[in-house]
Amino acid sequence: MGVFDAMNVSASGLTAQRLRMDVASSNMANVDSTRGEFKNGVWEPYRRKMVVLGSGESSFKNMFNKAVNNGKMAGVKVNGIVNDETPFKTVYQPEHPDANEEGFVQLPNVDPLKEMVDLMSATRSYEANVTALNAAKGMYLKALEIGR
Amino acid sequence: MSLFSGSVMKNLEMALDGSALKQKTISNNLANVDTPGYKAKETVFNQEFKKSLHAYRTDQRHFSFGTESSSSFSVREKTNTVMNHNGNNVDVDKEMAELAKNQLYYQTLVQRINGKFNSIKMVVKGGR
Repeated sequence: MGVFDAMNVSASGLTAQRLRMDVASSNMANVDSTRGEFKNGVWEPYRRKMVVLGSGESSFKNMFNKAVNNGKMAGVKVNGIVNDETPFKTVYQPEHPDANEEGFVQLPNVDPLKEMVDLMSATRSYEANVTALNAAKGMYLKALEIGR
Repeated sequence: MSLFSGSVMKNLEMALDGSALKQKTISNNLANVDTPGYKAKETVFNQEFKKSLHAYRTDQRHFSFGTESSSSFSVREKTNTVMNHNGNNVDVDKEMAELAKNQLYYQTLVQRINGKFNSIKMVVKGGR
């Protein structure tokens, strides 16, 4: 067991939650972006992105360790950022430069409410990880006092 | 009586190890608070369990097994907890409470081990 394992685990949690925050911010910023991706000669609106988290246990090394001894706790791992495939919002806005022949514009499938909820959840998880990190730090500092 | 290998020192050392592992487990649970399908883990001290698990030796040349070799605490998945819609069963409030408890426990152990060292120091210095 490494000395700073507990802190490394907390740090992985901090990184993951910060990424979630970044992605939610990106979604919020692009709530009206009608030109997100250039596909087959036409502009597609921005697609909402989501972070997929996994417990860093899925690697063979960790599975093996888990089976042999008490198992190594590897913190959290970002498995990837995926697109939300729900359909785009369509509004009637004939004066918009990206409107089609009937005057409809496709807008990103971003729901600000959803993003806010995600943002709050990420903030709270981040705080919990900070607390755990500080606790571990306090314990290690205390251990340095042994025999002084 | 030997100075450092007495039962007090050994027990304190073991408890410190267990407490550090517990801290790691809690950190891991908190890091995975939003991971779908993650199951919360806990560190358990299985001193009593180990006591009951004694290998009976009929010959002195036999190997002893079961008790001494492995550690006296282990990590296991938590049972009887409420599960979230995404299969995650980390209870943040509970983990935070456990964290605070473990922190105090660790500091108590360090204080105790320091007390022990101070007694030894006093003896070495001849009571001065």
